[in-house]
Amino acid sequence: MLDITFASSINALILGLSIASIFLVAALGLTIIYGTAGVINMAHGEFIMLGAYASFTMQNYLGVPFFLCIPLSFLVVAVIGLIIERSLIQYLYNRPLDTLLATWGVSLVLMQGVRLIFGSDPKYIQMPSFMSTNIAIGDVSISLFRVFVFAVAIALIGAVWWLFYRTDFGIKVRAVTQNKEMAASFGINSSRVYTMTFALGAGLAGIAGSLFGVLNIVLPTMGMGYVVEAFLMVVTGGGSLLGTIIASGVTGEAQSIFAFIFNDTFARFLVFILIVIFLRFRPQGLISAGGVRR
Amino acid sequence: MLLKLNEVTSYYGKTPILKDVDLDVPKGSCVCVLGRNGVGKTTLVRTIMGLVDRMTGTISLAGEDLTDRRTDERAKQGIGYIPQGRQILGKFTVRENILLGGFARKSGGGDIPERCLELFPYLRENLGRRAGLLSGGQQQQLAIARALAVEPQILLLDEPTEGIQPNIVAEIGETLRMLNKDLGITMILTEQHIKVARKLGDLFVMMDNGRVVEQGPISELTDDVVHRHMTV
Repeated sequence: MLDITFASSINALILGLSIASIFLVAALGLTIIYGTAGVINMAHGEFIMLGAYASFTMQNYLGVPFFLCIPLSFLVVAVIGLIIERSLIQYLYNRPLDTLLATWGVSLVLMQGVRLIFGSDPKYIQMPSFMSTNIAIGDVSISLFRVFVFAVAIALIGAVWWLFYRTDFGIKVRAVTQNKEMAASFGINSSRVYTMTFALGAGLAGIAGSLFGVLNIVLPTMGMGYVVEAFLMVVTGGGSLLGTIIASGVTGEAQSIFAFIFNDTFARFLVFILIVIFLRFRPQGLISAGGVRR
Repeated sequence: MLLKLNEVTSYYGKTPILKDVDLDVPKGSCVCVLGRNGVGKTTLVRTIMGLVDRMTGTISLAGEDLTDRRTDERAKQGIGYIPQGRQILGKFTVRENILLGGFARKSGGGDIPERCLELFPYLRENLGRRAGLLSGGQQQQLAIARALAVEPQILLLDEPTEGIQPNIVAEIGETLRMLNKDLGITMILTEQHIKVARKLGDLFVMMDNGRVVEQGPISELTDDVVHRHMTV
């Protein structure tokens, strides 16, 4: 018999927020790349994996403190993303099928490359000891690190919003997304905008990897687990930032509530089914990234 | 000559739309490009802007060869573009639309030149408004302000009076006259309204089937020329 108390309900809601923040951190970079350039980046999961390995390497071989590993992982993966965009992706814009296959190929190369360098055995990123404690919110107990992930998700939303809506770079990105031809007619080099956006999206995946490497073990295949959920958030959200935030929030909460009522496996199954039904009736997602890609 | 086109042929796909066009635009002048629908007026403007698939021939601005330059590089040479249908960015605010023009300036933009708002007080009062909510006439004002934010050597205006209420057409005509005659901004203007062309133009270019078939001072744009090339 299901025992629903106020405390257990609140517990499920808070756990839902934690799941939502993980979904959001995983999907943010993908949203930016897809929403701006229309690229379905199959290597996104591997960018997350590279972020985890970057943090692991810096922490274990260079003694870099964990909190510094996070921004440095952003930089490392952003540079890798920039190189991949310049050497491959830039030739494939407006060819979605080719981009899909090419980024899938990139994902395999990255996965095997990391396996060659680091091997297949799991690695671990150590969080600062004070983060391993739990904090109590009323009757609910939650790990401090999960609260930290939630705070990072909020901070990243704020940073991305500021970048896109309060800076010249943001105006350029949104102009290219709305009307590439007009953007070019007013001096905007769309190729450069795409490069910077791809690097930004990759860098955000790097941050996700740095965090997820603490939540789970670090493996060359770890990206595959996150990329499915990241894609689901982006597609359900419609490719827009706000859509992804809402999709992550609703899905995270739904998964937590279903897990509370049934079990974790069935909760995931149910969430996937509901997303499929939702997309059947609203294939453009919650809030379309809009714009006329020319 | 400020702008010079030499034997320009341009294509959409494999189809040539503009054929062997020669055009000289003197500094400070207003050149009106006339002709029936589909004769290549818009393609001429888009070719200058670098928005066609392929072209042969040469284009130069103030002695600088633009032929192999990308669209964004041409804009940065000082070409202000007011496209057909205005194409303001509807999801942007009025302010963001004007800021967009600034990116083509040598300084890189980041601010709105005072002249843009002096000319159009309505825009100054509605900088935070979503551009998609403006009326056709107000959107045309915004398109002009955006092009002026480039601080252009030359303005390309593609049918700026199309789809605008008749009383606003006169207002826009007066603004363009002032920009050309008082501020000395060179213009290429494609037009269907002969009255507007005669009022603003110094020179005319008559097009037919992708070619320039007649050109000269606007005083030579007689009713006979108009009937010969513009009546259906």
